[in-house]
Amino acid sequence: MFGIVVISRKHVGWAFTGLGSLGAIITAILSYTYAPGVDPEAWKAPEAYRILFWHVPFAWTSFVAFTILFIGSIAWYARRKEWGWRLVATGSDLGLLFGLGVVISGPIWGAAEWGVPWDWGDLRLNTYALLTGVALFIVLSRRSQPDGINTRDTLSTVGLFGFALVPITALATTLYRERHPGVIIVRSEDSGLDPEISRVLLIGVLSFSLLMIGLSILTELSYRLRAELVELQQRLDEVVH
Amino acid sequence: MEAAKLFSASNLDVYRGNRLVLSNIELSLNEGEVVALVGPNGSGKTTLLESCAGMHRMTSGKVEWRDDNGVVRIIRDFEGRRKRLPPMGLTLQMDGICGDETIEERLSTALSISGRAPSSSDLNQMLSAWGLDHRAVDPTAQLSGGLRRRLAVLCGLSPAVMSANPRAILLDEPSEGLDESARGLLVNWMRALAAQGHGILIATHDPEMIAASDRIVSVLEDGTLSSETQDCLAFAGELPDPCPAIEPNPLASHLRWAFRMEVRNPIDTISRLLPALISLLLIHTFVGEKEILASGNDFLAALIIAPAFISVLVAPALIKRYAEADCGRWWSALLGPMHRISSSFIGASLILPLPLIYISWLILGDTAPAETSQDVLESIWIIGLSLIDVSIAAAAVHLLVSDLHRSNAAAASLLLLILVWPFIELTDALTIILNDGMTFGLGMEEPFTMILLASLTSVLIWLVAVFLPDV
Repeated sequence: MFGIVVISRKHVGWAFTGLGSLGAIITAILSYTYAPGVDPEAWKAPEAYRILFWHVPFAWTSFVAFTILFIGSIAWYARRKEWGWRLVATGSDLGLLFGLGVVISGPIWGAAEWGVPWDWGDLRLNTYALLTGVALFIVLSRRSQPDGINTRDTLSTVGLFGFALVPITALATTLYRERHPGVIIVRSEDSGLDPEISRVLLIGVLSFSLLMIGLSILTELSYRLRAELVELQQRLDEVVH
Repeated sequence: MEAAKLFSASNLDVYRGNRLVLSNIELSLNEGEVVALVGPNGSGKTTLLESCAGMHRMTSGKVEWRDDNGVVRIIRDFEGRRKRLPPMGLTLQMDGICGDETIEERLSTALSISGRAPSSSDLNQMLSAWGLDHRAVDPTAQLSGGLRRRLAVLCGLSPAVMSANPRAILLDEPSEGLDESARGLLVNWMRALAAQGHGILIATHDPEMIAASDRIVSVLEDGTLSSETQDCLAFAGELPDPCPAIEPNPLASHLRWAFRMEVRNPIDTISRLLPALISLLLIHTFVGEKEILASGNDFLAALIIAPAFISVLVAPALIKRYAEADCGRWWSALLGPMHRISSSFIGASLILPLPLIYISWLILGDTAPAETSQDVLESIWIIGLSLIDVSIAAAAVHLLVSDLHRSNAAAASLLLLILVWPFIELTDALTIILNDGMTFGLGMEEPFTMILLASLTSVLIWLVAVFLPDV
């Protein structure tokens, strides 16, 4: 029975991941073939805006991943819940993956539109970069440090550290000189956003969400199996000694 | 009549890694007894001894110690409460000694933390008894392993030797590395201390030490304890007389220790100064007047602050000193919850940012507008002070990372990215000073407010890095 549950979760995870990946590719194709151009008078690099169809879904999914990391950090920090640690592991892995998507795609657009790839005064870009840095730190440390309560305590503290500090300090320092553009490209009367752009953006967000769900299931499953493996190895150690 | 307890651990569960090493432990140490903790390698003797000193997080239970006024206080419990230990002696398995301190300094430090003010003849008498007096002014790095161990054991015993009040002494494998005469001396001193009412807990494999104890506590494979008493036949030796008591001030001792280490071997100053000066020289060499004038005052402001900012981000040398032979853990045990706070201050660069920012200004400030130059010269020290706040926050972040078992394998710089915020604030503030001169108004676009905001951001980062790990 247990085996069936594990296999079915794995298949569900792969199915979501496959669908999400396919959707992400379709989004990229649609962004060039279906989405309209923007007003060339209003933008320095009108074609560069198409990166938004991946940039925004990356931002959305990395936000969800960082939230998972935060919830896991609280659960481990406050109650040392094993599921909390699995969320820390999953959230940091996915936060790193999707966060890198944000901090790579953002500067590509910034270089074309602003003329500089990075703006240190920008709230969202910097916040995502710092949170991605925190996620990278946790991912690297999980690989380099021996697993145990002390390591988990410290890394969950780092998870909380990131969440406690990044938004607060970012808000405190950049509230009054934000440069990041809004998502409005071309307004239509009813939705506030060009319907074709909205449609492609929606497909992108849904696809990346599916990808995120699939990878979450697979990552969480791999950590669960790894924990079982470690337990079996420890039992084996006891038998050997 | 039952002897008074010096400390007790109750219902203690402690994990090391993923393994429950101690399970539901009940242990106490009474006045006038020597207790030997025995058990095979990896059974948890060291963990138990260190847990009694409040050095480990626990998943259940508490450790309580009695102070000189007879008040019993929780030192550490599973809910994260932590208090400083009352005066006591501690010898860790790895000595806990930094190689830069001299032998006399080390002994003096161990005594001052426990509230004793020994004269130089008191120190000399103890060092002489342990065959260390001829090396009193040598750095401990020059000692052989055996002599270093003698010093570590003497430092553990000395707070009780010099005190008329009963003290608890925790010794982890004290006889390991000692020769026969030193082992004999150790047994004699332990028995003499017990006869004076002090309590001694030793983790040991040594049959000689076990024979010198009144009670043998075995740590069993399942993490529980079994205990048996015995009649001890070892002889008590002669001890030096106690010295005058002073009010213990571990923080002052810690500061003195760190200052001495840096004066003797200024690795912190050099490791901060060098990258700052190199960056300054590179800027001076490769960034010409034209580029600065073309890019504007915000570019100049960033260049002026950058060398000092780089210097404050460098990992404190204190962390390297702590890593030597468990030195940091020894301080952590004796300072308790104040250890992280104290270390973040004394590990920070408290002096360099000020001269560095003035040197930067003198070298790079040629291109600044003449009308505001005097203003910058007179007010740039405020930015230097704010960089000291940034340095304290950076030290706290480095200390947080140093909690990891393999902290050398962790990329602390990723967490330091957050300090870019105060750097941006300070750059903006200096830009405004360069453009319009210094003002002390509290509006959002005033330079003074921006400097204040940079300091407040640093304080916030410091608070989170210092208090979150120990809650």
